[in-house]
Amino acid sequence: MRQSILNEPEEATEINLSPMIDCIFILLIFFIVTTVFVEEPGLEIVKPNATIDQDLERNSIIIAVSADNKVVYGGKELGVAGVGARLRQLLNRDDLPVIIQADARADHGVFSAVWSEVKSAGAKKISLATLND
Amino acid sequence: MARRSILTDDSEAEINLSSMIDCIFILLIFFIVTTVFVDEKGLQVAKPDTAAVSMSEDEENVTLDITAENKVMLGAEEIALPDVSGRVKASLLDPETPVVIRAHEKSSHGTFVSVWDAARRGGAQALSFSTSS
Repeated sequence: MRQSILNEPEEATEINLSPMIDCIFILLIFFIVTTVFVEEPGLEIVKPNATIDQDLERNSIIIAVSADNKVVYGGKELGVAGVGARLRQLLNRDDLPVIIQADARADHGVFSAVWSEVKSAGAKKISLATLND
Repeated sequence: MARRSILTDDSEAEINLSSMIDCIFILLIFFIVTTVFVDEKGLQVAKPDTAAVSMSEDEENVTLDITAENKVMLGAEEIALPDVSGRVKASLLDPETPVVIRAHEKSSHGTFVSVWDAARRGGAQALSFSTSS
């Protein structure tokens, strides 16, 4: 019985780790599959109410319009004119649906202008975010 | 070494899994931390296409106006927000009748969404919006 110092006596090495590894693998796969990297606007938006809304796709480009009519994407203020160029760049890379998160107190004119910009940038599906309660 | 189960074979059990488990734990923690569950609800809205605009002079078309003071008008008559869906239902000849919501650019986005919601509840299938100034 030549044992090195590092090798513990036989009885101590018997912990069976494989079920735990299985569990962790399942968790890992779950999180890999469900993770989407969405750039959130990082603004406090009071969404308008609607009763007939539907679930939107998780993986989308989110553009926010704040209560004081600022147009924001990914934490940066773009302005209505900047949306088109930025969106064209993003849609070129990946054809994603677009969600416009406009505050209930924002002007309709700004929302409409953003909508037109998004449409002309070539987005296939444009939705507006609402709240249902 | 007389009694050993078939499952534990001593010479094979020596693979050291702990470093792999460390790696997987780090991946798992990364995905747990970065996962955000974006749960967005919303509506899909559309502007009338050019073909619809040219026939918007048809008398069967229903036009809802939203003024700069967020009042909802059907023709020349002001209607209250809770009555919108009933009035839309009454004025629709069939569900395919185009309904256009013409909102003033200074009206609030919240009012626009409420009117859209009410018109959809009133049975309008061909809804679109345009902006007036």
